[in-house]
Amino acid sequence: MASTGSNSSAPAADAATTRADILVALTSHNDARTVGGVVRAVAGGLSQYFGDLSAQVVLADGGSTDATREAAREALGGAGLVELEYPLQPALADVPYHGHPHRARAVRAAFQEAARLEARACVLLDASLNAVEPAWVGRLIGPVLAGRAEFVGAHFVRHVHEGALTKGIVYPVFRALYGVRLRQPASSEFGCSARVAASCLEQDFWETELAPSGIDLWVTTTAVSSGYGVCEAALGPRQAAAREAATDLSTTLAQVVGALFTDLDHRVDIWQRVRGSTPVPLVGEDPDAGSDVRPMAIEGLIESFRLGYRELREIWTWVLPPRAIVELRRLAAAPPEQFRFDDRLWASVIYDFAFGFSQRVMPRSQLLRSLTPLYSGWLASFVQELRHATQAEIEARVERLCQGFEAEKRHLISRWRWPEKLR
Amino acid sequence: LHWYKDAVIYELPVKSFCDGNADGIGDFQGLSERLDYLQALGVTCLWLLPFFPSPLKDDGYDIADYTSVHPSYGNLEDFKQFLGEAHARGLKVLIELVLNHTSDQHPWFQRARAAPPGSVEREFYVWSDTDELYRDARIIFVDTERSNWTWDPVAKAYYWHRFFQHQPDLNYDNPVVLREVLAALDFWLDLGVDGFRLDAVPYLVERDRTSCENLPETHALIRTIRRHIDEKAPGCLLLAEANQLPADVCAYFGQGDECHMAYHFPVMPRIFMGLHLEDREPITEVMERTPAIPDSCQWALFLRNHDELTLEMVTDDERDYMYLAYSLDPQARLNVGIRRRLAPLVGNSRRRIELLVGLLFSFPGTPIIYYGDEIGMGDNLYLGDRNGVRTPMQWTGDRNAGFSRADPARLYSPIIMDPVYGYQAVNVESEESDAASLLQWMRNMIRMRKLFKVFGRGTIEFLQPSNHKVLAYVRRYRGDVILCVANLARTVQPAELDLRAFEGMVPVEMLGYTEFPGIGTLPYFLTLGPYGFYWFELQRSRG
Repeated sequence: MASTGSNSSAPAADAATTRADILVALTSHNDARTVGGVVRAVAGGLSQYFGDLSAQVVLADGGSTDATREAAREALGGAGLVELEYPLQPALADVPYHGHPHRARAVRAAFQEAARLEARACVLLDASLNAVEPAWVGRLIGPVLAGRAEFVGAHFVRHVHEGALTKGIVYPVFRALYGVRLRQPASSEFGCSARVAASCLEQDFWETELAPSGIDLWVTTTAVSSGYGVCEAALGPRQAAAREAATDLSTTLAQVVGALFTDLDHRVDIWQRVRGSTPVPLVGEDPDAGSDVRPMAIEGLIESFRLGYRELREIWTWVLPPRAIVELRRLAAAPPEQFRFDDRLWASVIYDFAFGFSQRVMPRSQLLRSLTPLYSGWLASFVQELRHATQAEIEARVERLCQGFEAEKRHLISRWRWPEKLR
Repeated sequence: LHWYKDAVIYELPVKSFCDGNADGIGDFQGLSERLDYLQALGVTCLWLLPFFPSPLKDDGYDIADYTSVHPSYGNLEDFKQFLGEAHARGLKVLIELVLNHTSDQHPWFQRARAAPPGSVEREFYVWSDTDELYRDARIIFVDTERSNWTWDPVAKAYYWHRFFQHQPDLNYDNPVVLREVLAALDFWLDLGVDGFRLDAVPYLVERDRTSCENLPETHALIRTIRRHIDEKAPGCLLLAEANQLPADVCAYFGQGDECHMAYHFPVMPRIFMGLHLEDREPITEVMERTPAIPDSCQWALFLRNHDELTLEMVTDDERDYMYLAYSLDPQARLNVGIRRRLAPLVGNSRRRIELLVGLLFSFPGTPIIYYGDEIGMGDNLYLGDRNGVRTPMQWTGDRNAGFSRADPARLYSPIIMDPVYGYQAVNVESEESDAASLLQWMRNMIRMRKLFKVFGRGTIEFLQPSNHKVLAYVRRYRGDVILCVANLARTVQPAELDLRAFEGMVPVEMLGYTEFPGIGTLPYFLTLGPYGFYWFELQRSRG
């Protein structure tokens, strides 16, 4: 493995004299079962791909109460793990969907350490992953060191209903707004240059309310909106052990979409000037996702949508125009086999919610939670349509959806620039 | 950097905005209570008219103490609280620094008139044994003053005043005066104010056989103040009030080492003139005569303010035209100008107001909105001096327009009550609930203006469509290219624009984000409704 420049027991003060070309930061929270595998994969990747460079592996643990730290130390064999100490986040009302309540501070601590070490490249990996390959390290770091990109996003292979929130909202909105086709803009795994890390450290989002759940997305939008070159690393499937996390869909949706809308509110002068979108280079090849996936029952999702229409229609009228409400009524009345959520309608719904969020037409958490049945309806439609689709067909369908979001972007800009008074 | 270039400034007299302690006079407590309104309006900087202790013979521009608050408006603690709350909302605060003169009640003047001639105390002001000195200096307030000299029986000498006789001019040939003024400036800087409007700057220094305006010594003095500001509080703004021709005003920017901003006085009456003539020429002529200014500097633009619509800087013919066009009622005339608010000036025409605001927001400079103009407030020609445009802000249709809970007889000024502009017809509360109100429209316009830095920072080039009722210009800043087209006429007008320089680009109407046909080599044809105006982003074609 590459020279690390310090040993596992070295306190931070000793490490202060060192420099490293690469910093690999593992963010953990009660990941004793998985962190060892991640550490070993990282060590293997560094040795295999960057043996002639100095590297530092750091653990940004978020107050684990299990043996996460010990497992990480043991996995690295006493050679080179630095454990970052940083102030933990005060207790949150809801655990973030990813289960790491201190993630924003962990990411910041990692970036600060990268700056201190003057690292040329920095990689973040979540320690809950249980199938990390050494090649991930090569793909996330290689483009940065080679000067081909300054931000490397993760590109995971996913079945139709996996990562549906990303497929249905985060990716299409991110792509339409910033014009960059990064498939998983909110991924916890990414690589970046020293300049991107420094740009992020200059941002004022670190201590905001949604930072623990939104930080990964915000790092990506910072990189993209600052004009840094980006690419993606093909990482195969993402398999992570379950942490104690937000389990209900409404909370997850509110956290993820809230982070997205919050960011959008702060970068108006950038996204309103972006037209169209461009693909980004993919490093490595996606493996076949295989067909070993449990079918998803959509009846419950449709019923959730119908119930939402009955119970939340009044709230929706605060942000959705009458035309959308009428279309949703038609959809609620449609038989399951004809249940299709139109792309244009879905895009305009999301954009109208984004606008309502910006205008604070009602408490933001209430608004975001009222989106849940609409998302359920969209997901039912998406899964039903692609129940027997191949990976390529799923990709093509997501592409069409994104085009719908890009086409409807003018609707968002128009409302944003010249708001009609809402109720 | 240069925050003032992207600012939208809101001018308000503290006494007129909101009365927090129910004594009939607006105060800092009331103003603090209304900061949410200002934040929601979208303005980014508040310019407060003088709020210092004063006999109030010139609405506070006759200052009797530079480092305190007039008791009618509260006290220093109230000011500090207001400033903190404004800053917490992202609002910067600009205050007045009246350099040229004080009140005759200021202790400096009382001390000076009793001090022996030639003493430091006496020399705080400009004295003479005769009223013959500086004869080439014009009289500014021709309606009230016959001379710039007034005999003081205590001093047994004449004292110099460019404005009212109760406002003796400070003597900057005495270095102690500047030291005292800088101490006052430091006092407010230490509290955290973000800038100063330098009142009446052209008149600071007097020299015989000159007009006593814009003298080199005056500029040297301003440079000294600027250096002091830059050392003490970098980023703090100096805004010059110099009602002069653009070429003379430019001197107040220096080489970027005097004032950061200065009012563009001549453009305002010419906008009104162009509107009434239905001809762009008065506007383009003055804009093209406007010299370039240093990169760090900025024009301050306004349609109306707390003074009369000044006609000092127009020709005699133009002045006559303006009087005939905008002040048939002689009551509306004051000094060399017209004392009216925006809405009454344009006959309460919503379309004309919108057009004028559209021009204000898209011309190169930082716009200043006068309080109440965002809701279309009216004025009262029968109040003396310029008090008719300084009436209480109209918040609601309730008693005292929601301005004060005092007995109506205690109000510092009557509320506007006529059937057209009266508080029951025009007030914030009703416009808040009206989706089509002028207030909602203004909020959207401010939002748009702030979205595009090109308006505050970009270059301007005028196009020359054959139809002179149409005003068209292109603003550019970095990658943004904005085409602005305005119809100055009350009827529908065609416009053929030579846009060959932008061939292949697509105009996207900015307010509705509507794509228009692409630009080719032929003249680009547009139809504009009465007083209509469009802003277009010129975007590269998608392919």
